[in-house]
Amino acid sequence: MNLFSQAVISGLMLGAVYAFLGIGLVLAYRTARILNLAHGEAFAITGVAAALLVKAGLPLLAALGLSLLIALAFALSLHRFVLRPRADWPAATLILITLGAAFVVRGVLILAGGTDPVSFPALFTGMPLRIAGGVIPMQGIALVLLGFGVSAAVGVYLARTRSGKQLLAAAENPFAAELVGVDVERARLVAYGIGAILGALAGILLIPLIAVDFQSGLAMTLRGFIAAAISGMSPLGVLFSGIGLGLFESMVGAYLGALYQDPVMFFLLILVALWQSRHIRFGGTRRA
Amino acid sequence: MKLALWATLAAIAIALPYIGILPAWTPAQATVAAFTALSLIGLNLIFGVTGMLALGQAAFTAIPAYAAGILQKNHVPGLLAIVLGILIAVAIARVVAEIFVRLPGIYLAIGTLGFAFVVEGVARAFPSITGGASGLVLEPPIELSRDGWYAIAVACLGLAIAAFHFSVRGRFLRTLQLVRHDELAAQVLGINVPRVKANVFTIGSAYSAVGGVLLAYYVGVLAPETGGVNASLESLAMVIIGGAGALLGPVVGAAGVQWLFAVAGGAQHYELLVYGLGFFLVVLFAPAGIMGLLVRRRAATATSPSAAAGALSARMPREGVCLRVAGVQKHFGGLRAVDDVSFEVRFGQIVALIGPNGAGKSTLFNCISGLEPLTAGRVELEGVDLSAAPIHRRAGEIGRSFQVPRLVPEMSTLDNVTARLDHLRGSRRENQRRAQAQAQLAAFGLEAFAERRVREIGLGFHKLIELSRASAGHPALLLLDEPAVGLTTEEVARLAAALQRLRAEGAAILVVEHNIDFVSTIADEVVVMESGRLIARGAPAAVMADRMVQEAYFGSLA
Repeated sequence: MNLFSQAVISGLMLGAVYAFLGIGLVLAYRTARILNLAHGEAFAITGVAAALLVKAGLPLLAALGLSLLIALAFALSLHRFVLRPRADWPAATLILITLGAAFVVRGVLILAGGTDPVSFPALFTGMPLRIAGGVIPMQGIALVLLGFGVSAAVGVYLARTRSGKQLLAAAENPFAAELVGVDVERARLVAYGIGAILGALAGILLIPLIAVDFQSGLAMTLRGFIAAAISGMSPLGVLFSGIGLGLFESMVGAYLGALYQDPVMFFLLILVALWQSRHIRFGGTRRA
Repeated sequence: MKLALWATLAAIAIALPYIGILPAWTPAQATVAAFTALSLIGLNLIFGVTGMLALGQAAFTAIPAYAAGILQKNHVPGLLAIVLGILIAVAIARVVAEIFVRLPGIYLAIGTLGFAFVVEGVARAFPSITGGASGLVLEPPIELSRDGWYAIAVACLGLAIAAFHFSVRGRFLRTLQLVRHDELAAQVLGINVPRVKANVFTIGSAYSAVGGVLLAYYVGVLAPETGGVNASLESLAMVIIGGAGALLGPVVGAAGVQWLFAVAGGAQHYELLVYGLGFFLVVLFAPAGIMGLLVRRRAATATSPSAAAGALSARMPREGVCLRVAGVQKHFGGLRAVDDVSFEVRFGQIVALIGPNGAGKSTLFNCISGLEPLTAGRVELEGVDLSAAPIHRRAGEIGRSFQVPRLVPEMSTLDNVTARLDHLRGSRRENQRRAQAQAQLAAFGLEAFAERRVREIGLGFHKLIELSRASAGHPALLLLDEPAVGLTTEEVARLAAALQRLRAEGAAILVVEHNIDFVSTIADEVVVMESGRLIARGAPAAVMADRMVQEAYFGSLA
């Protein structure tokens, strides 16, 4: 087995997950002007719910569909019943509320699924493919194709089509957006919904290959944020930063060891922060 | 009297574990709660008072303990190891802060979250050094009895509360409130926002480090999760539940949660959900936490503004050119928002900057006050080139008001005005600054509002309060952005009188204004901009009669 090929393959799979998460994060950020720290919970909810439902004897497809719906319901109600009635609150408080929601989800997941990692069977089975000395399972191929395909479709929709641009315009100036007929509230709800579906898809496709536990959500939010921040919150750019991040993380894991992944990711975040600070003159701060 | 009451309450609280009326509240529980509260005071300063989202604060409780334990293993004497551990943690906190404080708050949130992942991960990854998942055994340098530990915990917590109480007030508190509420206004008032944030993060992490290292040595074993994400979120939950920003919030939060779990017994898995729900519900429905429910907010302490009149020392009237704008250009991509504009404002002169919407007036204003770097040209104040000076360095010589007043609604009018004097050279003592602010308010006829919070005062007065803040401390130049907009006729008259008085005192005043009547009454000179260019300049009557100005400003109707 070729270490490099294998690292590229896992990098692509991770990259697909980060693209899924990153674009949802960008979408929610650009429409609702706050960073949703509960974004990665869709991933964790789907994973734990699917594992429990499969264990309870539900057919795989039904279990996956149901857990996707649970994650979707969580994200939509977070926006509709918690954030939207408080739209005039300071952004920092709203971010804190999303963190609180993520925290509650952790608490629920540890009660439901325990502390040990859980998993469920892959959706796509069959002989793993061998490429250039590396092995990729069918599920992995589906993950890479769907991850980049769906994310690219969403990215192109946002960056290139009229209704996509309108969706993004909602955050830049809600008042003006409403004047030209964009329903800002609907745009935000749609954004949270899409974000949850993408996060859930990432979970459905990745978790059979690894596992999930109650605390995976914030780790996913963290990595999605790094991908989003590298791209400067751009809906198309985040695809590329997602791939780059996935490949980088997997190379670190392959050549330095998995133990170094967290510190190296943090180091990368520092580099991003320093890079983003470069335009800041006058000892001032950047206004988001 | 009040002191006696507090002392009695404190004595009862300290004696509580020995009286035995509270079930499950043993000295051991109380010791853990006290050390936890001590470390939470730091998070309360960072998050509760200053509003910075620090999501990985537990990391700074674990680092000093790990450092001390590892040093001790390598034959460094125990007490020295503890001190070094704390210093190491504080130094790391400083570095983390410096990296993230210049960016929007969310970067600090994600950065500190990531840091907690790193600390827990590293602690697990190197078991030969850190003890790994089974933990690092810590040996206290001094053998202490149960009661000895409790005494140390109470003493340290008492000292920390006193330190917080005596440092986080007056000037420092006003600065933090400004930074929390409005970073831009803070900078315009002379506050170096990133430095204040970095300092707050460092000081707060010092509290975390002291509390963390003591707790770790008391428990005797240090596990990786002590510095991880869950522990950090739990810390945040305790601060929020107790009452973010309140002096005793961390104590109430730590003790309350500790007691709750002591009574409930060790139902480990419920813990996270209880923390999470507590956090979530308090943020949504009782943002001031338990302390907010217990204590009604008291009005700001009123110090008597005696000897006020003497403090308002008038500066020697200055003469000549105050502000010189020379060939200033500001481009946004291809758009020339300000295109080669030159004019000057003399001391004792009111210059009005007028022009249709989008003419570049606000951009020029931002260039002068330092919010926007210049593309080309120079801005000089009394002959000194300001073009490269940061906003907060210009505060001493420039007082600025905003189109929509940027006051801190939770602070009193007096505190809002004092906040400007806080960061000027030559304002030495708290009493002096407050007296000076009081005199400043009196000069504007606002003394009746001094002790009232701005939130409770009608919007019509906000512009005047902001003007009295901007002109406090006699800045050479006043930049006023549409001061008359939204004011009643009576309020406009009051404003005009105030401006004329400031002019008589020798200030140079530059006003952006749309109200032509107001401009004609007060301005000595009018500068007209259109599409980024200066198209006319001169006495109000002459400029208004100019045909080009009439076309630009009123359209071809005129």
